[in-house]
Amino acid sequence: MLEIKNLHVRIEEDGTEILRGLNLSVKAGEVAAIMGPNGSGKSTLSYVLSGKEDYEVTEGSITYNGEDLLEMDVEERAAAGVFLAFQYPVEIPGVPTMTFLKEAMNAQRKQRGEDELTTPEFIKRVRAAAGDLKIDFNMLKRPVNVGFSGGEKKRAEILQMSLLEPKLCILDETDSGLDIDALKIVSDGVNHLRDPNRAVIVITHYQRLLDHIVPDSVHVLSKGQIVKTGDKSLALELEAKGYADIIDTAA
Amino acid sequence: MTAHTPRILTEAETALIAAFETAGFADAVEARAAAIESLKESGLPTRRVEAFHYTDLRALMAAGYTLAKRPTDEIAQSSGDAFPRLVSDAAVLHFRDGHYFDRGEELPDGVSVVAELPEAPAVTNGAADAVAAINTAFSIGGTTVTVAPNADVARTVGLAHAQTGAADTLGAIRNAIHVGKGAKCSFVDRGVGPNGVRYLFSSHTDLVLEEGADVSFVMSIEEGDAAQRLSRLNVTLHKDAKLNLFLLNAGGKLVRQEIEFDFMGEGADLNIAGINLIGGEAHIDVTSRITHHVPNTTATETFRNVATGRGRGVFQGQINVRQAAQLTDARMACNTLLLSDDCDFSAKPELEIFADDVQCAHGATVADLEKSYLFYLRARGISEVTARRMLVKAFVAEVLENVGDEALAERLEGIIDVWMGQHV
Repeated sequence: MLEIKNLHVRIEEDGTEILRGLNLSVKAGEVAAIMGPNGSGKSTLSYVLSGKEDYEVTEGSITYNGEDLLEMDVEERAAAGVFLAFQYPVEIPGVPTMTFLKEAMNAQRKQRGEDELTTPEFIKRVRAAAGDLKIDFNMLKRPVNVGFSGGEKKRAEILQMSLLEPKLCILDETDSGLDIDALKIVSDGVNHLRDPNRAVIVITHYQRLLDHIVPDSVHVLSKGQIVKTGDKSLALELEAKGYADIIDTAA
Repeated sequence: MTAHTPRILTEAETALIAAFETAGFADAVEARAAAIESLKESGLPTRRVEAFHYTDLRALMAAGYTLAKRPTDEIAQSSGDAFPRLVSDAAVLHFRDGHYFDRGEELPDGVSVVAELPEAPAVTNGAADAVAAINTAFSIGGTTVTVAPNADVARTVGLAHAQTGAADTLGAIRNAIHVGKGAKCSFVDRGVGPNGVRYLFSSHTDLVLEEGADVSFVMSIEEGDAAQRLSRLNVTLHKDAKLNLFLLNAGGKLVRQEIEFDFMGEGADLNIAGINLIGGEAHIDVTSRITHHVPNTTATETFRNVATGRGRGVFQGQINVRQAAQLTDARMACNTLLLSDDCDFSAKPELEIFADDVQCAHGATVADLEKSYLFYLRARGISEVTARRMLVKAFVAEVLENVGDEALAERLEGIIDVWMGQHV
């Protein structure tokens, strides 16, 4: 589903190179965990996949379902099924969450040539998904993420993910700022979306999240490259030995 | 001894004087003549006149206007058709090209209307009073609206001015509204006109709130994209009076809207909120002056502006607190979104405070749309243009909450949506 080859990316503003020849392949149905120390390029990878403008790809390619992902606009990628659950979801004052959800769902349907959802059908879907994630429906009457706690913001991201039914989910440190109960709810939400036709990339610092969302593959990112790939046992090894050991061995 | 060099009149000044001379007004002759004399003497204001520093009328006003003739009843009827009412059950006073049309609408209990031109505004400050001078010289239609003391008026009263589409005409109206002691009522004052037709519209409204009166006043300026509009609203607030004013600017090529408030009684409260949408080649100027003459009054002023294209926006907010006006509480905020490289907005707060125990605050911000918000919305599949409109709407929506009538707020939102569809 996703094929990243020799990807080099730098920050547009100051030219700092962040990704230096990254290779990664994720198949449909796969849950891939990407782990790595601070500053290794994890968030940059998630932004480049979703199309944020502040980065410049200087070399390499990203192929998504046979298409050149780098040629697609941000909203085209979303409609094609790429979803980024943000590490720090922004608060957008004045835009009601329900309006936002409806616009997003219908915009994607429109781009895919599907009919727009009727209001009752839309509300039905939101109620059901919010119930699963233990999100108070009244919270969704507030502006997007405004006044939400850290945990509520992360749950709201997973709510959007389950409503938009993406094909490639990228979870950028979704576990940060979550207490144990919230971690369970969010993980259940993600596991619920596991599907043979859907790939999930879980970006995290800690093994803890991977106890709940069990990965098929684990990739260690260091200095802009994948330096080691393994199965779920690699995450346990990282937890026991720390990054330094693994990275040194790999290098 | 000073040598007096006669000033060369601009085309616009010459055209105004010529229009006056051919009009042959038979009423309010002295006031009109004095106003035109002031115009001849001082001319239209330039940047050198402080109150017009950002709006050089002498440079901006076009020439070649003639006074509008009274349109036929059929034209008067049809010219309003494109603009459905903002308040469905309002009692509307109709003006077309500056002429008053009594269409026999039933007035709500407690409201009476006399169809006579009210007294002209004072023209004492030369070029600085140009807006008042033009209105004094040219007003054709006008009414005096009286709301009886203690009336709780059930339906909104509308003042609707529509331009019929006659090009190069000048139309002017003047209204006086007197709200009696303890009365409660609401007004919608609206100016509309077709796009692509050059016309000049002048409007002057005197609004007096007697003791304890409670008034909601909504102004919606939707002039055509080639229109020039010069208008003033003068408000006097007596003891414990309460005014909620909302101003929407969503049209016109050149708009100068002056709003002036005098607090004459303790305990009075004023809330002004406004949205200025400035796109294309528009130049929109809102100039406000609030004078606290007595102690214990409160005023809040909030404007949200959106400029794009080659639009130029101006907000001047003057707050005067006289020496006697202790315990004044005045707050002013002016926030602007600049959406293009070629638009601009000038915000000038002016505080003149002679009392020592007062609270006055003012703030102005200018920004572009927040990039991280745009990215977040687009990352969910929302197109860039829809995302931009959602964010602009969010920016102005907060101010729209000041309109208490929800159905009316929705209609105004519709006007904002139309503007965004053309400019964002």
